[in-house]
Amino acid sequence: MIKNVMSPILDIQNLRVEFPTRDGKSPIKVVVRNLTLSVNAGEVFGFLGPNGAGKTTTMNVMLGFVNATAGDILLFGTSVRLPIARQRIGYLPEMTYYYKFLTAEELLRFYARLFRIPRAEAARRIDWALKLVDLEDARRRLIKTYSKGMQQRVGLAQALINNPDLLILDEPTSGLDPLGRMKVRQIIQRLKDDGKTVFFASHELGEVETVCDRVAILHEGELRAEGRVKDLVAQHQCNLEQVFLRVIGCQN
Amino acid sequence: MSNRRTIWLVLAALFIFCFGLAANLQPQFQSLENSRRQSDNFFKLLLGDSSRIFANSFFIKADAYYHSGYYPTIFDNNEAFKTPHMAEDTGAIASHNQGDENSFMGPPRNWIDAFSRHFIPNRHTHLDEGGPTDDLSKSSEVREILPWLKLSAKLDPENIRTYLVTSYWLRTRLHKVAEAEQVLREGLRNNPDDPQLLFELGCIYFEDYHDLAQARNIWEAGLRSWSRQAPGIPQSERLKLTNENFDSRYVFERLQTHLAELEEKAGNRVAAIAHWQQAALASPDPKDPQKHIDELKNKNPHL
Amino acid sequence: MNEILAVAGVVIKELYRRKDFYVLFILTVLICAIMGSVNIFNDNQIIRYLKELCLLLIWISSLVIAITTTARQIPAEREQRTLLPLLAKPLSRTRLILGKFFGCWIVCGLALICFYAFFGALAASREHQWPLLNYSQAAFLHWMALGAIIALALLGSLVFAAPSSNATICFAFVVAIMCLGRYLDLVALSLHEPSRSILYAIYFAIPHLEIPFELRNLIIHDWPLVGWTFLGLEALYLLAYTAFFLVAACLVFRRKAVN
Repeated sequence: MIKNVMSPILDIQNLRVEFPTRDGKSPIKVVVRNLTLSVNAGEVFGFLGPNGAGKTTTMNVMLGFVNATAGDILLFGTSVRLPIARQRIGYLPEMTYYYKFLTAEELLRFYARLFRIPRAEAARRIDWALKLVDLEDARRRLIKTYSKGMQQRVGLAQALINNPDLLILDEPTSGLDPLGRMKVRQIIQRLKDDGKTVFFASHELGEVETVCDRVAILHEGELRAEGRVKDLVAQHQCNLEQVFLRVIGCQN
Repeated sequence: MSNRRTIWLVLAALFIFCFGLAANLQPQFQSLENSRRQSDNFFKLLLGDSSRIFANSFFIKADAYYHSGYYPTIFDNNEAFKTPHMAEDTGAIASHNQGDENSFMGPPRNWIDAFSRHFIPNRHTHLDEGGPTDDLSKSSEVREILPWLKLSAKLDPENIRTYLVTSYWLRTRLHKVAEAEQVLREGLRNNPDDPQLLFELGCIYFEDYHDLAQARNIWEAGLRSWSRQAPGIPQSERLKLTNENFDSRYVFERLQTHLAELEEKAGNRVAAIAHWQQAALASPDPKDPQKHIDELKNKNPHL
Repeated sequence: MNEILAVAGVVIKELYRRKDFYVLFILTVLICAIMGSVNIFNDNQIIRYLKELCLLLIWISSLVIAITTTARQIPAEREQRTLLPLLAKPLSRTRLILGKFFGCWIVCGLALICFYAFFGALAASREHQWPLLNYSQAAFLHWMALGAIIALALLGSLVFAAPSSNATICFAFVVAIMCLGRYLDLVALSLHEPSRSILYAIYFAIPHLEIPFELRNLIIHDWPLVGWTFLGLEALYLLAYTAFFLVAACLVFRRKAVN
């Protein structure tokens, strides 16, 4: 597959996000400061940072949950303020909760309708997604009867239902057993082989080092490091975890 | 094992204690119950004196049904509805109505009020006159007021007005004489010897059962009860033409008038004349009873 | 439109998989059956008190279904975190609000069909007649009124923090209008300024939901049909309020953070 190197799939331009504070000590709190970042097609991109660094806020702006104070994010060249920007993305939130009164099949059919996927095509994709995440046998059971792992897999299935060109994952392996983590890594690798782009936030640096092509490290709302994993590791002469700690100022 | 035995023994001991206590307290409970016999009405027990307020509301509700929903609220001009029309029409209750019953709402106050009047009953009708359709063949739909009257009587059994109105409509429009009699007897159980109730009961025996003897007994009992109502006040005082005496005079006059008609029908002209003379004392227009007396005397010159 | 109907479909599924409607329907049937079995002077043709009771229960049940279903839509999505994966789809917030509205409104419509069918059967059992047009008028206006109430509850769910407070306030507001809405101007006349002007303003500003509510009396007492022109105008009046509340809800939701 020819990679499009001309325009990035995800383009964060001078993003600034401020929130009013409640403590009254200062009028505003700057959560993301002038973040500029881009992700190219076909990459697996890791978005790292300690808790409170601004990763979730950046992803929330990307997904249209929160409005940026300044700057913009473009998805496939379209501003994220427009709903159509999300036509070609899939999103897996950290905490996966879905409508308990629906079955997995009904849930996927619902999301397929939101993507305006024709009925026959939707049925084919539902079968494919459920098979991919090993939920075929439970497709007609109500989600409220699912275990946590099964709910996580439903989440993955709904993120893939529209065959997205960009998959945004927030802590995809959180709460999964080693088998589950392996499956997720396999799925990410498979997507990469298919030419898809994956953007994910994670604290599991070991996994990030294995799977990701490039990473960005955020701290206190600012981009502290960005580049290929191999290059960063070579530059600092240590593994990714130590690079991370050094960049955020916790290690010499 | 010993724990289980202990539990059973304790339970048995408790049971025996409770049984003994209940047996011991039984005589006291019985004497309490007897002294509280007056409050064996469930609604009175539940609601206390406020049951009368509910009873009155349901009585008014029956009148609202009588008007097929076209009825004033507390915000409207209800001068023409002070005496419920369903009671007024029975002839048993004096009317205090004034004003125009057809337009208690007045002219529309604004466009919302004008518009909303298309969605509510907006014409004065009576169920016994055919209701909104003005179809006289549907006059028996006056039955629809009965549930509210029944409920009102249950909540305030000492209000004789409810029994009078209920029995009237049962007897005259719905031809349910037996049920009307039951209503009056229930009224008499709760209001012993009430002259108005006795009068209505006598009407049933006279007009429907054609039992002159029983009707005479009941009406005479009504008269005796009327006399006992105000001991120490002479009859002449009670029959004076004053507003305060209106209800009392009205009952006395009706009893005497109907007894006079009964005696005429039975051929007892002397008794009939006596009753007409008594009726004349109470009547606002004594010429009418006098006319009957003159007719009877003309037929029997020696009287 | 497809997305709106998809969201509405989920709301409808939620209702028929919850127990609320069935409980209320069975309760209505039971109460009517018990009250209908009372012997009133051996007359088995008395029906109006039963019609009034049944219609009152239908109104109460429909308000419970409408307000409680709507009040929990957005807060439940937020609390259960189903809102994030939903908004991550190419679904605008406006369409989400419209989808929720139509879902709740259609659900109430389906519930009303069941309730009014029972009411018709109950009335026909004694009256031996089926004034279908009259019942249809009442049911239609009832449904339109519920549309305004649902839109109001949806707006409330975005303004108030908890579904319970939203539901309580909506109930109180709607019941107050139904009982007193017609007479607020009369009450205003008895007050001094500035209370009089304030109450007058309220009188003209509130949606007069008592109009469809009082239409019951025409059904109970067998009055003729309401003029179709007036019915249409009343429907438009209620639709206008529905649209107003929905627009307000969309504007509020667009500014709200969802995480």
